[in-house]
Amino acid sequence: MLRTETSRFRGASWSWRNAWPKVGERLMRALASPDPRPLRGFGLLMLIAAAVFPCISGSFYMRLGIESLLLGTVALSVDVLLGCAGLLSLGQAAYFGLAAYISALMYLHVTRSFWLVMLAVIGAVAVFSLALGAVAIRARGVYFALITFSAAEILSKIAHNTREIGGSDGLIGIPIPSIALAPGLDIDLHNNTAFYYVVLAALTLIYLGTRRILDTGFGSVLRAVRDNADRVSFLGYNPFWYKLFAYVMAAQIAAFGGMIYPLLRGFVAPHLLGFEVSTKAVVVSLMGGIGTLLGPLVGSIIVTFLESVIGSYTERHLFVLGGIFVVFVLFLPDGLFGLARRLAAKRAEHRS
Amino acid sequence: MQDLLSYLHLVVLPQMVDALIVGAALALVALGLTMIFGLLDVINLAHGDLYMLGGYAAFTLIGWGAGYWGALVLVPVLVAIVGWGLEELGIRPLLPRSDRAVVTLLLTFGASLMLRDFAQVVWGTDTHAIQAPFSGVISVAQVFVPAYRLFVFGAALAAIFLTWWLIYRTRIGAVLRATAADPVMVASFGIPVRWVYGSAFMYGCGLAGLAGVLLGPIYAVFPTMGHDFLVMAFAVVIVGGMGSIVGAVVAALALAQIQGLASLWIPPVWAETLVYGVMLLVLIVRPAGLFRRFGEA
Repeated sequence: MLRTETSRFRGASWSWRNAWPKVGERLMRALASPDPRPLRGFGLLMLIAAAVFPCISGSFYMRLGIESLLLGTVALSVDVLLGCAGLLSLGQAAYFGLAAYISALMYLHVTRSFWLVMLAVIGAVAVFSLALGAVAIRARGVYFALITFSAAEILSKIAHNTREIGGSDGLIGIPIPSIALAPGLDIDLHNNTAFYYVVLAALTLIYLGTRRILDTGFGSVLRAVRDNADRVSFLGYNPFWYKLFAYVMAAQIAAFGGMIYPLLRGFVAPHLLGFEVSTKAVVVSLMGGIGTLLGPLVGSIIVTFLESVIGSYTERHLFVLGGIFVVFVLFLPDGLFGLARRLAAKRAEHRS
Repeated sequence: MQDLLSYLHLVVLPQMVDALIVGAALALVALGLTMIFGLLDVINLAHGDLYMLGGYAAFTLIGWGAGYWGALVLVPVLVAIVGWGLEELGIRPLLPRSDRAVVTLLLTFGASLMLRDFAQVVWGTDTHAIQAPFSGVISVAQVFVPAYRLFVFGAALAAIFLTWWLIYRTRIGAVLRATAADPVMVASFGIPVRWVYGSAFMYGCGLAGLAGVLLGPIYAVFPTMGHDFLVMAFAVVIVGGMGSIVGAVVAALALAQIQGLASLWIPPVWAETLVYGVMLLVLIVRPAGLFRRFGEA
């Protein structure tokens, strides 16, 4: 199994030159990939539901929807690491927060151009994640979790202690730009509906891109590394580079959400880098189902809305969140998707 | 020269004494954390909240008239019972799983959120002060130390020594170390391994509770005290080596000195960041920490 998949990777190597002209075709294939997992239909359903959502909801829920999608980026990045590479990161918020701070600072002091900010965020996050990733990946198992955790904690402390970037109060009053999609076609983010669709479209693209990359031989090698790193290195692959690429990729995914966040809320604060966001991302991934990529998105939507609903009844949303966490770890370790899969399997068994 | 000497004597030395006391208390929390990891492979993220629970329980018990000394005895027992509940209901079912390091991490994180919120429901978000059982200042060679802080140091040292003695000088400790090394072999000798796990977990939680009572009168009690202290205790355990008893004590004392001395010259908040920097450095150079895990020969 391993051999055939990895040789596919080696032979028909995936290159940008082949990929570019066929982006549309690849997207279609990703949507209709002959994956045995029953995710495709569900993903399409979710996309349709998300697309009609603004028609039936007010601006409050629409903004909540955007927030859940932004949390979804962090959850997705956790899942890329944990589900495919077997690396539990307790510090993905570092990239979310780093991107949020960079974008906030740039909008405040440098430029109003969305694309320039995006370029800066991608560059900065790439440098940072390469450096930290190269260190963290050498450590195995629990130590990886601890390194990522403490790196995020250091960043959060630095943001907390630096007057120039707002200290513990963070930065407020971030101007909201409009995105120039094409000359003459500007998207004004003051408009909630437009904002929502932009984020939804971007996240859909990110999801499909991630899915596509992980469905190639690269993903197979990554999963093989997760299952048995030694054996993979005997086959001539260096697990380090595969893990590093996954780490940088995950960082970029989380950074995308972070880059948008200040535009939604108009402020950034040190807690965005902290433990709460990182672990919430892990919670929602676990809740949806690790390794499914779609599950974490479902989880983050459920948890964001649940928090808002519970929050309007009681201030004890931490308690409820912690409780959900404990219940899922103990009784549903493969999350909602795992539950659905098991139920489906049971029904199929009954039928036969 | 004279200036330098008096600077060392009057500024640096008191700071070091203070850091020594903080370090000893930190070692208590870190000891529990490292014992639990060494034995069960569990990173207990709820440990800081058990420390917080210790502080709050002391506040309540003293309010009920148990007195400080009563609280000092009762609170570690109470916190150990909470720890027992956590172990019995949450951690034990997960131990047979191959990814137990990860799932128990997630579970204890959930438990930590619940405990923190529970504390806010019961005690509110205000900071509560605990009256120290005695006041007074002891001065040796012009270095002034509040008597209570000295008592905290002594008590922490006693608890550390007791733990060391239990683990390295008694039969119970021998079983504990053997279990850490090879639980299957120990079980085949007819020793109930699950009780070993349970009691070690309780003992570790009890230590966190004790630290809560001891530090309550110094720092007062508030809902996030556990989180702040846990991150520091983590740094200690990582530097000392996860699962190392000696390492936890040495690293706690060393890191407290680093933080204490650094805050003389740089703002205290940056001193804290420096401690994490040291931790990251140790993780990079020696991922397994400075000392070996107990149970490993």
